[in-house]
Amino acid sequence: MIPVKKHLSTDVLVVGGGIAGLSAAISARASGVGVLIAEKANTLRSGSGATGNDHFLCYIPEKHGPDVSVIVKELHQSMMGASQDVPLSRRFLEKSFDIVKLWHSWGINMRIDDDWTFMGHAFPGRPRIFLKYEGDDQKPILTREAKKAGADILNHHMIVDLFRTRDGIAGALALDVSGEAPSFAVIRAKCVILATGSGNRLYTSRNTPGTLFNTGLCPGCTASAQAQAWRIGATLVNMEQPVRHAGPRYFTRVGKATWIGIYRYPDGRLLGPFVTKATKELGDITSDVWNSSFSDVMHNGTGPAYIDCSDVPAEDLAFMRRAMASEGLTGLVNYMDEQGIDPARHAMEFGQFEPQLMGHGVQIDINGETDVPGLFAAGDAIGNCRADLGGAAVYGWICGEEAAKRAAACELVPEEEAEKDAWLAERMAHYSSFHERASRHGWQEVNRCLQQIMSDYANVGPHHVRSENLLNAGLKYLADMRALAGTQMAAPDAHTLMRAIETLDLMDCGEIIMHAARERRETRGMHIRSDFTFTNPLLNDKFLTIRRERGKPVTAWRDKLTA
Amino acid sequence: MPPVIDETKCIHCGKCADICPLSVFFFRREERAVPEVRYPDECWHCNACGLDCPQGAVSLQIPLNYMLLRIEASQLKQTKE
Repeated sequence: MIPVKKHLSTDVLVVGGGIAGLSAAISARASGVGVLIAEKANTLRSGSGATGNDHFLCYIPEKHGPDVSVIVKELHQSMMGASQDVPLSRRFLEKSFDIVKLWHSWGINMRIDDDWTFMGHAFPGRPRIFLKYEGDDQKPILTREAKKAGADILNHHMIVDLFRTRDGIAGALALDVSGEAPSFAVIRAKCVILATGSGNRLYTSRNTPGTLFNTGLCPGCTASAQAQAWRIGATLVNMEQPVRHAGPRYFTRVGKATWIGIYRYPDGRLLGPFVTKATKELGDITSDVWNSSFSDVMHNGTGPAYIDCSDVPAEDLAFMRRAMASEGLTGLVNYMDEQGIDPARHAMEFGQFEPQLMGHGVQIDINGETDVPGLFAAGDAIGNCRADLGGAAVYGWICGEEAAKRAAACELVPEEEAEKDAWLAERMAHYSSFHERASRHGWQEVNRCLQQIMSDYANVGPHHVRSENLLNAGLKYLADMRALAGTQMAAPDAHTLMRAIETLDLMDCGEIIMHAARERRETRGMHIRSDFTFTNPLLNDKFLTIRRERGKPVTAWRDKLTA
Repeated sequence: MPPVIDETKCIHCGKCADICPLSVFFFRREERAVPEVRYPDECWHCNACGLDCPQGAVSLQIPLNYMLLRIEASQLKQTKE
């Protein structure tokens, strides 16, 4: 058995030290409670915001006017609008400017050209919702602020499971991955905030099918929050709905809206009718409107689609280069330089990437709390308020405040109780079995098999269908894979055990996605059912929830909150 | 082999290993050696190591199958005209 080497306790445990987690930690500390962040890498450079971001969704009254509902409406009409409970997006937007100002005061430049400047994903003649900023050093700066606020940071510790009492959350189990030999730490906490980011490595890479880590967002983000919350009975929402980002091929990287250019067919015709000359103020939004465009033109043979930056003014191209560094794309930019690729001269092919989990996951209430009392969630892992980086920063902050309030009024579960917790013992034995096994079957084989099953039986549009038959087959094969992994996957050291547990989390998410997709007996967005080809108007403004009860999935429809 | 460490510049501080979001390096402080790129297939090519190395000793080697697909933009205009 892998030994338990640490017993820790805290008021608020933050799971994952990305943008949402650091924000939550700082705000909870500001409310005067103890905070511990557990991060499987290092908060200085972890998660999808590791090396930067350049657009922060927010509402700034002096720019947008006094009525927040204008921006609420714009958010709901955007690509990420479908899975939002309105009161949550409203609370997020109302708080967002405070967080923007805080970030600026900490040294993250939120005022390019000395003003609040909105660019990217912008529709002609419509309010703009993305604040352009320079996020190159956001993670080191937020880490510094979290430390300054007095939060403890436990780097190289991956939270692998949560544990609870009948009354609510009680803490979490961490795997120490700082050395070669794994060990566990049991962390008791009054409140836990899940902030583990998006879910990648679920589907076969669209760009490079042979690789697991060529993903648009951080491949270390593996929907652990969804899987862990699910395992202790918390409700998830909108899990059947995928997100597909787009960008360059074959080096997969998000940041589409940082590129300034026009999308064209190979014969030079414009892909969309919206913008004929791109500037930094207004780029081409064809693929925001026509989300499947890059795939459609490949499917019908009129593609590929190119982004043409050659007509963009030189000063705007210089601006784009700077913005790419802010967006965290220096790996891509350096590579383009090495290869002599110049956006002024070369048109780059763009494509859609594989599906991922983002903004579809843990269901929270207006305070960021799940239906397990004391368990909160923020950022890309939540399922009913998606706003990407801005959402992570702002809802992280809200969760920190609310968790601190709750923590101040409740008690830790006693140490003896944690020690004899049957669920924790079961999970430790389960994870230890992979470490103790003599086998040559690594986690990569299991992760690839999961991707094969998801891509064959639970794939998404355009040009892929789901059906009762396919999903039933997929669930059967996933169960078979789980049985194989359970007896044959081996993890000889801490690092590979971390990857193996990530893969187990992804398998849970794959299963949840298939159960939810089976329940959504209609076609909506990229969820295309060959056996239910219509979009059912009776399901407009309805969300599909799913949770686990006595080992079985329980789905339910609820009204989307609109007031 | 994604991150490549220039052994003549490396001062064995372990920063790259400590901050890598995907933990692809293996480093033991007491050995005072160049970190080993133990899990090259797990590199995200985010360049955190390149940005944070105090000696500028780490660069990325992008796999050949990550080739960026492009054409001369002038070709689009020729066909358009």
